Amino acid sequence: MELFTLLEKGIWFGFAALGFAILFNVPRRTLFIIWIIAALGGLTKLILIQQNLEITIATFAGASLIGMLSVYAAHTKHAPPLVFSIPAVIPMVPGIFAYRMMLGLMKLSSTAATSDTYSVSLSETVSYGLKTLFILMALAVGVAIPMLISRKETIKKVKRPTQK
Amino acid sequence: MATERTTNSKAVEDMLLNVGTLLMSNGASTGRVRTTINRIADALGYEVELLITSRSLMLTVTTEDGSDYTSSVKRTPPHGVNFKLVSGISRLSWRVIEEELSVEQINQDIERIKSLPHYPRLVVLALVALAGASFCRLFGGEVPEMMAAFTATFFGLFIRQEALKMRFNPYISIFFASFAAAMVAGLSIKLNIGHSPENALATSVLFLIPGVPLINSLSDLMDGNTLNGMVRGVNGLIIAFSIALGLMLAMQIYSL
Repeated sequence: MELFTLLEKGIWFGFAALGFAILFNVPRRTLFIIWIIAALGGLTKLILIQQNLEITIATFAGASLIGMLSVYAAHTKHAPPLVFSIPAVIPMVPGIFAYRMMLGLMKLSSTAATSDTYSVSLSETVSYGLKTLFILMALAVGVAIPMLISRKETIKKVKRPTQK
Repeated sequence: MATERTTNSKAVEDMLLNVGTLLMSNGASTGRVRTTINRIADALGYEVELLITSRSLMLTVTTEDGSDYTSSVKRTPPHGVNFKLVSGISRLSWRVIEEELSVEQINQDIERIKSLPHYPRLVVLALVALAGASFCRLFGGEVPEMMAAFTATFFGLFIRQEALKMRFNPYISIFFASFAAAMVAGLSIKLNIGHSPENALATSVLFLIPGVPLINSLSDLMDGNTLNGMVRGVNGLIIAFSIALGLMLAMQIYSL
């Protein structure tokens, strides 16, 4: 049963990425690969969270996997890696945390600093805010690293045929 | 090889400026713009020096023996995202090497890539709305909340497209879209649809998140293009702020 819910989430990760892929007008031949890459990355994150890993680290692992798969897909499907990686990581964006942080900020700005609830909402807001920030950074860094490493290799391959 | 393919430097320069500004305004990172321009120039037998900023591109083209050189600047159009174009130009740059294309052939191919069709509007609306519903499911929503997120995203994106068509400022368009989506999703809270209608509200605006600016910002920063990285990062933050503003206004109206 648990496996079933996990796989079901994977499907939704795929569809969320597909929507963004269409919005960014990716070539049609890459759509299916983006769906698969997003599902795999999202499942990696969920499985790691089930193993009691911190959500930031789990997200970083998922995003790195997406980055690596994108570099691989770039070679086989002849499109730059970012075409695959950017739509695929977007489903991992911590929307709910960002929303709660915003709610908290609104509450903080409208309640008096002396009221009893102030310190509770302050610590909640800071906690959600930091989670949002670190998860976003983990996403961007995780995806960027494989692309930056692989770019070095492509330049080497270009130089050779032109030096005839 | 270089001699038989040499055309005048000015034509090469115009073509490279065109390639660079197209890539920059359609979602490629600074490193990719530089790599692609160098790759094409190299294949045509030219050396090129670049200054890439987010709103303009400057380059100097020199023939390999240094006998002829020219430089000029071109304004980069406002940024959007079109990965079909980025991918097409990247493929083109490889073909320039492999098939030894001439400048004229390259220009023709750029025109062809530019005229490639977008997905039909209804398909875009429907699939992005489905993405909104998927987000809602991932954050723990059930079928009724997913329906609310679907409708809200569909409506919000429609408003954004219309606002952009009317040439509103891009940030204002995002504000309109976020407000519209949140108004629709907020309705589901007022009508008490589903167990956790809050999920629908939080996910209804996610289709606007500045994924491309933020990820490109980080790749630029890590690649050493600090200034461009910061420009993109600030752009992403203003977009995030516009989304929050629209969401906040809708929540105030519904007094949630």
